[in-house]
Amino acid sequence: MSLVESKEKCVPEASWVPAERLKMINRYVVERKGSCISCGLCGSLCPYGVHKRIEGHASILPPFDQRCIGPSCSSNDFYCVKRCPTSSLSVSNSETFPALGDVRWTSEMVLGTWKMAETGKALPLDHPANVGACGGGFDQLHFRLPKGSKPVKDHEFTTAIDLNRRSRGPRVKIDLPIYGGGMSYGSVSLHTMVAKARCAQAWNTFTCTGEGGYPSELLPYQKHVITQVATGLFGVKEESIKRAPIVEFKYAQGAKPGLGGHLLYEKNTPLVAKMRQAVPYTSLFSPFPFHSVYSVEDHKKHLDWISSINPNALLSVKVSTPNDVEMVAVGSYFAGANIVHLDGGYGGTGAAPEIAKKNIATPIEYAIPKVHRFLTNEGIRDEVTLIASGGVRTGLDMAKAIALGADGVVIGTAELVAMGCVRCGNCESGRGCPRGIATTDPELMMQLETDWAAQRLINLYGAWRQQLGDLMSRFGMKDVSELRGRTDLLRFDGGKEVKA
Amino acid sequence: MSNARELMKGREWMSKLDVPTFDRQMEAEGGCGVVGLASTMALPGRHFFESLRQMHNRGNGKGGGIAAVGLSPEQMKVSKDVLENDYLVQIAYIDSSVRKELEDRVLANYDVHATYMVDESDDPAVLADLPVRPPQVWRYFCRAKRDVMAKFVEERKLGSLDARRAEDEFVYQTNFGINLDYYASGKMKAFVMSQGRNMIIMKVVGYAEDVIRFYRMEDFTAHVWIGHQRYPTKGRVWHPGGAHPFMGLDEGLVHNGDFANYHSVSEYLAQRNIRTLFLTDTEVSVLLFDLMNRGYGYPLEYIIEALAPTTERDFNELPAEKQKIYQAIQRAHVHSSPDGPWFFIIAQNCYYENKQKLIGITDTAMLRPQVFALVEGDVQIGLVASEKQAIDAALRSINADHPEVPRQADVYWNARGGSHTDGGAFVFSLEDEKGSKRLKCSNKFGAPVTIDLKYDRKEDAKLSAPLPIASVTSDHNIHAMDGDKAFETFLKDVGTMDHAKVQAVFAEAVRRGKNGGKDLDEMLRFLDLVIDRRYDAGRVRRSRLTEKSLEAVNAIFRSMPRVEGAQANGAALVDWKDHELLKAPTKPGSKLLVDCRGFPMEGELGPSFVIRRAYELGWRHVIMFDAHGQRFFGCGLGPGTEGMRIEAYGNPGDYLASGMSGAEIVIHGNAQDQLGQVMASGKLVVHGDVGQTFMYGAKGGDAYIMGNAAGRPLINAVGRPRVIINGTCLDYLAESFMAGDPLNGGGFVILNGVGFSADGRPFELQTPYPGSNLFSLASGGAIYIRDPGHRVTPDQINGGRIGSFGKADWDLIRPYLEENERLFGISVEDFLLKVDGRTIAPESVYRKIEAVPVRSAKKEAELDDDEASA
Repeated sequence: MSLVESKEKCVPEASWVPAERLKMINRYVVERKGSCISCGLCGSLCPYGVHKRIEGHASILPPFDQRCIGPSCSSNDFYCVKRCPTSSLSVSNSETFPALGDVRWTSEMVLGTWKMAETGKALPLDHPANVGACGGGFDQLHFRLPKGSKPVKDHEFTTAIDLNRRSRGPRVKIDLPIYGGGMSYGSVSLHTMVAKARCAQAWNTFTCTGEGGYPSELLPYQKHVITQVATGLFGVKEESIKRAPIVEFKYAQGAKPGLGGHLLYEKNTPLVAKMRQAVPYTSLFSPFPFHSVYSVEDHKKHLDWISSINPNALLSVKVSTPNDVEMVAVGSYFAGANIVHLDGGYGGTGAAPEIAKKNIATPIEYAIPKVHRFLTNEGIRDEVTLIASGGVRTGLDMAKAIALGADGVVIGTAELVAMGCVRCGNCESGRGCPRGIATTDPELMMQLETDWAAQRLINLYGAWRQQLGDLMSRFGMKDVSELRGRTDLLRFDGGKEVKA
Repeated sequence: MSNARELMKGREWMSKLDVPTFDRQMEAEGGCGVVGLASTMALPGRHFFESLRQMHNRGNGKGGGIAAVGLSPEQMKVSKDVLENDYLVQIAYIDSSVRKELEDRVLANYDVHATYMVDESDDPAVLADLPVRPPQVWRYFCRAKRDVMAKFVEERKLGSLDARRAEDEFVYQTNFGINLDYYASGKMKAFVMSQGRNMIIMKVVGYAEDVIRFYRMEDFTAHVWIGHQRYPTKGRVWHPGGAHPFMGLDEGLVHNGDFANYHSVSEYLAQRNIRTLFLTDTEVSVLLFDLMNRGYGYPLEYIIEALAPTTERDFNELPAEKQKIYQAIQRAHVHSSPDGPWFFIIAQNCYYENKQKLIGITDTAMLRPQVFALVEGDVQIGLVASEKQAIDAALRSINADHPEVPRQADVYWNARGGSHTDGGAFVFSLEDEKGSKRLKCSNKFGAPVTIDLKYDRKEDAKLSAPLPIASVTSDHNIHAMDGDKAFETFLKDVGTMDHAKVQAVFAEAVRRGKNGGKDLDEMLRFLDLVIDRRYDAGRVRRSRLTEKSLEAVNAIFRSMPRVEGAQANGAALVDWKDHELLKAPTKPGSKLLVDCRGFPMEGELGPSFVIRRAYELGWRHVIMFDAHGQRFFGCGLGPGTEGMRIEAYGNPGDYLASGMSGAEIVIHGNAQDQLGQVMASGKLVVHGDVGQTFMYGAKGGDAYIMGNAAGRPLINAVGRPRVIINGTCLDYLAESFMAGDPLNGGGFVILNGVGFSADGRPFELQTPYPGSNLFSLASGGAIYIRDPGHRVTPDQINGGRIGSFGKADWDLIRPYLEENERLFGISVEDFLLKVDGRTIAPESVYRKIEAVPVRSAKKEAELDDDEASA
């Protein structure tokens, strides 16, 4: 393994990767009528750079809506609408903007994620995009932030975590407490998978194959790819286990525990079928349990099996959050798991049924501290890496999960949003993804360019890391491990009834 | 006869107690390893020790226990009368300072006829293995004090009960009180470990075999033993209160699995004034059993029905009268029936019937592994365990002391949970018959399990002597023959051979086998056939010939040159002691012989890694012998392992051939659970049965199974697996099968529904598939089922349909049946295609079960493609 002791020296460069199509979706709309004489006054007035006139051009450039601060600017004397000599300008609230999100992923949050993916720059800690409006979960938890301090440089803090905290097996460290969640070939396109893998490589962390086999395009990134073994055992081959630094057992998915998986025949195209060693255009089922695992000693045997194929692989056990989640966690530890991965119910793409999402199992913000404290009391906390996922949408969500007791997080939807997902929720249909992310349709998937998507992910990871650093610096911390389990830094903003 | 009303009323005081709430099960655990045996000969603990040790890896050393029923007065240091009629109350003192005080309480309630502390080992090695020193255990042989009893009967209004049964209740309530005050109240200073006549329960924090060692039970004899390796998930366990077995009255119960409805069952019990004190689902199980046994007075059959209801098609198959009763039971017990994966083993002293029983019950869905076995003869032994190797380990140990007991059971089988065929439960009952014990085995419905063994007991016992290898005589009939010919000759003559002649044949096989080269090949072929085939064994029992053959195989292999030396003879030996010296073969085509004795069960020091290293070094034929449960044979070699051949003798363990891609694996005998998971390609041959979830998620490969498969074979398999199962399956065959179109390169299962009589003749089973769920949710592949009598009906097939079997289907499966004939001797022309002696066309013998096409998905998708490009 070459993943030994990376010193986080090489924080990958962020670069500007705009999205032409996403430019159209903004909070405000600035319109310029045909009566404009391109005098350029607005360009010289606006401090935000909405208007720009390039010397020598006949006309002024179209307005950059996303930079506009909206109608509230009218109190300023540089308000362009008021000052325009021909009254050609208008500023209004966008109609698209409120239609974009929902209470979990607010419009602000979607735009904020796009912005970070585009620029790689962290949003301020008090930015509204950091918190959702669902009235529960991470949205009810807030950091008791001490008043601002100086911004920190990216080398002034460390966010690396160990994935193997046992005495046996290879040392594996990732440079930031995030890795990419499993999305199978079939559920997402190859471009999406490769983009995620490139990001994992750039950040010295991991992505995961999901349950759809291991496409050969991922081979160049194999040191950063987790092989998933899920309940349908699709695409599980000895070679993909042998090459994996980490093997993840997906016992359940937090968004739909107890429901298994179902790839409808439309998505099972010949390429998908080949990868899963199945027959094209038949529906593929993943059962809800491992049929070979109905108890903890079966569980151990199951892990031992993978170790018998690759004794050097770290073992990650991904489970949902039942009431006795701490028993599941401690059982996984005794079965030999290095990573216990708790998947809460807030995540999930459009493929998870609405009735299941958020409605089954313990909320993740309860499950994390419960497991963290239980493992601590059992005296084994320091031998387990505890990873949380399921609705980690922002850098602040990540920080909250860590403060609750996790070592790190796994993200999924946030990555898709960074790639331009508009959260329309048609993921399961195969040909419904308007951005070509969650599809293997050969034409639709061409919309997503791998390099572009990879850089946007790298930017997002970097922005989150910087947010984490800013937060830690406010608390006077240098190492992310200091944040773990600091529930005292959180404030519960409860008691607010959310009217249905 | 039911005492339920009186007993419940008499326990009203319990309902008002402030005992720990059962809102949460405190002692969560998943599964474990369980084992039980019942024998007409009282057996010492050291034999049982071997079984427990075999299942070490099913526990985590945080709890182990045993129960023993049918004890001897001498070793219990009491008279026969006291042993049989007194209640033996055993109290474990976690804190020995409370003993004086607690004994006063015992003496206030009971006339104690004998008392002593259970002997403990002072061997530092034994103590070093124990994470927590086990509690002192004291035995009290006692009867209720007359006056206390009279008061109890009056106060609890139990006057209508038979006096002895009232005393049973007195013991139950008195000991409940002790556990309440000294354990559950939060004190955890002492608890009653067992209560019953002629039986004990012992448990420790540690492995189950530590019980035998710590309490010096190596020579302690009993007729019925059950044991349990616990795998609690909670980290710190400091006393054995939560370990199994749990006590009822006169019985102990061990349990593998857990309930999803623990709370509901606890509430059901609480409504009947039965309170729980140890907060585990196992305690709940035994209390439930006790309620139905002592309270409702159900016969065992009804208790089993209440625990594991008969459902679906199996229910419909029951006689009308039985349906009526079972429906009433199911309605009454809908809230008390344990839901989830579980397997119970119960050891029971039936005081009123003068019987000792060993009972194994599986849940309706058969989610836990289970194997039953029976040895007939002068010594009869019934066995049940989570893994077959645990059974064989006990027999091997018993055989060392009592050669007349074979090392292999006469028959092994699985129970089919909640079924109309066996009810998912078997009972081994020891009954006194003319001064000695006889063992009767029956299923849930009371139908006896018998083996039609017609052998000469004297000859058979004499054959148990070691092979006379040193003094090979010429008194044998396989001189200079090749393996097939030798077997043919042996079969012809074995009916008239005495033990000495049989010994001579095997001794000759050893002599010639030791020569190596071609002689080795031929003699191995001969010995393989003796093990693998079904035939009339003449004057000795069939299992004895397997035992002799394995003895010969082991003797030949252990005499071969060692791999690290100068390899010769075409074969080289490696064993645990020198496994690190493994090196490359000096000649291509050589066999590597791996002596599995002593190797750990799994991990990088396990024998599966010897196979891996051997493969990397260039060995292409590896023979694993004397395997005793070691797992993962054939795992981790891939990809692309064509040309590799692995053979296994003994008991190769779970997950064999999982992930295999290209190699060939042959097992001489039965296999265990989880074979061929995600198998991609290659060939697997099993000369016996296979266990749970055979070929789960398989993608391809050919598999030939001579016997039966347990639950859920081929579940979630895709691609092109091609499988023949000659016997039948418990249930859920090919659920979610997604193996495409078998006529266009997809996969299929051929199910022949064949059984073998005691004299080795194949016969057609009553039905080729008894389960209620065949091919459920399948979207591809097919099952070719030999079913000339059309016993399989559409109500068994959930989502699939019975299609038409055509010439193309026959052309497809015929070569597989021919290979099947070559491997197992099950003739296509003379047996499979014959019905009642007449040759029948294949389409009248085989039926095809196939997927119902889903709205012609492919066409629809293609249509969309056209539209998209237009």
